[in-house]
Amino acid sequence: MNDASVAIRVENVTQRFRVIHERSDTVRELFAKFMRKRVSYHDFEAVSGVSFDVRKGEIVGLIGRNGSGKSTLLKMIAGVYRPTSGTVTVTGSLAPLIELGAGMHHELTGRENILLNGLLMGYSKDTMMEREQRIIEFADIGDFIDVPVKQYSSGMYMRLAFAVATEIDPDVLVVDEILAVGDFAFQQKCIDRLRNFRAAGKTIILVSHDLGQIEQQCDRAILLDRGKVLVDGSPTEAIHAYMGVAAGEEPVLVETPSPRA
Amino acid sequence: MTELLRDSYRYRELIWALAVKELTIRYKRSILGFLWALLNPMLLMLVLTVVFSKILVGAQPHYAVFLLSMLLPWTFFSQSLSYAAESIVGNADLIKKVRVAKLVFPVAAVVSNMINLLLSFIPLILIVLATRHPFYWTWLYLPVPLAALVILTLGATFFFAAANVYYRDIAHILQIVLQIWFYVTPIIYSLDLIPAKYRVFFKLNPIIYVLNGFRLGVYYGMLPTLESVIASFICAFVALYVGFRIFRRYQDEFVFYV
Repeated sequence: MNDASVAIRVENVTQRFRVIHERSDTVRELFAKFMRKRVSYHDFEAVSGVSFDVRKGEIVGLIGRNGSGKSTLLKMIAGVYRPTSGTVTVTGSLAPLIELGAGMHHELTGRENILLNGLLMGYSKDTMMEREQRIIEFADIGDFIDVPVKQYSSGMYMRLAFAVATEIDPDVLVVDEILAVGDFAFQQKCIDRLRNFRAAGKTIILVSHDLGQIEQQCDRAILLDRGKVLVDGSPTEAIHAYMGVAAGEEPVLVETPSPRA
Repeated sequence: MTELLRDSYRYRELIWALAVKELTIRYKRSILGFLWALLNPMLLMLVLTVVFSKILVGAQPHYAVFLLSMLLPWTFFSQSLSYAAESIVGNADLIKKVRVAKLVFPVAAVVSNMINLLLSFIPLILIVLATRHPFYWTWLYLPVPLAALVILTLGATFFFAAANVYYRDIAHILQIVLQIWFYVTPIIYSLDLIPAKYRVFFKLNPIIYVLNGFRLGVYYGMLPTLESVIASFICAFVALYVGFRIFRRYQDEFVFYV
């Protein structure tokens, strides 16, 4: 890792899951093991042998069909999954969440959630107190900030979540379907913020099914298919190839994988 | 072990926030709020006092003090375990989406129950005053059994938090185990009531050394023997060592199973 301009380096990363058929989370499995009965399963590589670098200040889009490994890859970059093999190296601070609002608790108020989310992402209480006002201003949800989050509309929820994730100012932001909600005005605000982010030399990895968004916002796009990189190039190129893949074959639908091999 | 201390310190603010969140959610929507933490032991005490001192003859004098001195720490132990068993599974959504140190969840479960335990000492003090039971200087000794209790509880919570990820039956089995454990531990009765030849079996129960420190200090105004203090800390540290080792061994895989 001698190249100082690299923010994320993904090297030959594989994530293998063990899909247990007729899976039960119970002691029965244990008995089955004791009785030397085989639990039926198959191993399945959600991501296999993927490598790429993301430079600082780049916005990279990740596209592909359902089950192509986008989210798994994102989770490995964010540190939620430890890869079965290969390494992911991230330089600088990273907002370790792959979905906006992941750390929200519905019974707590917006204000309480700001603190809890910040702490979950590894920031100190002082930092969060300092940034609270700016987060509240950006989210712009008025008095609802002191109301339990369960009473929010989904738009308000996402506004707060986006405000928290970006206002804490990570060097690397990794997000799944970031711009899917919010009204037009708020979407514009988000896009502005992403631009500022890039201008400040920060790195974003974006998963989206909104190809227009990918084309407009990203410097580069990676097309994943069956856990492998098919195209790593300009958004136009990747989207074009994606159209071909999507049209050509049946989508690979995979049930939520569980235990790992 | 140093890892446990280091991480607990590093994530102290998060642990505290999670523990407070737990209590807030538990009490927020109730009219009496935190008063429930005080009322619960009071009401329970009332019931048990009536049953044991008025109906069953020959019980201990000041039975309420006798009972609560051990029941409160036991409640802390059993509640922490029940909470912790669900602490990883219950936070599945979070664990699947945010990179977060897993140990904060069981530790927060213990911390929130510890706040409850400390609060529940207020009714105990009130009851000691009301029954005119003497206030012994040995109250000052209570931090020692408290330390052993917390260490023992942490160890057990790490084990059950991890085990329940793999086998969801564990949470149910735990409830049954806790019930049986409660009755075979001399909490509502005194060990003296047990015929001498069976007492040795009761002494195999590790938690009795820890709990005994509370009863001796509060009810009898005595200090435990050095042997029993050492025994309590050995049990506590063995539990913590084994529990945390198991937890640490599997923590990176939790995300695939929750």
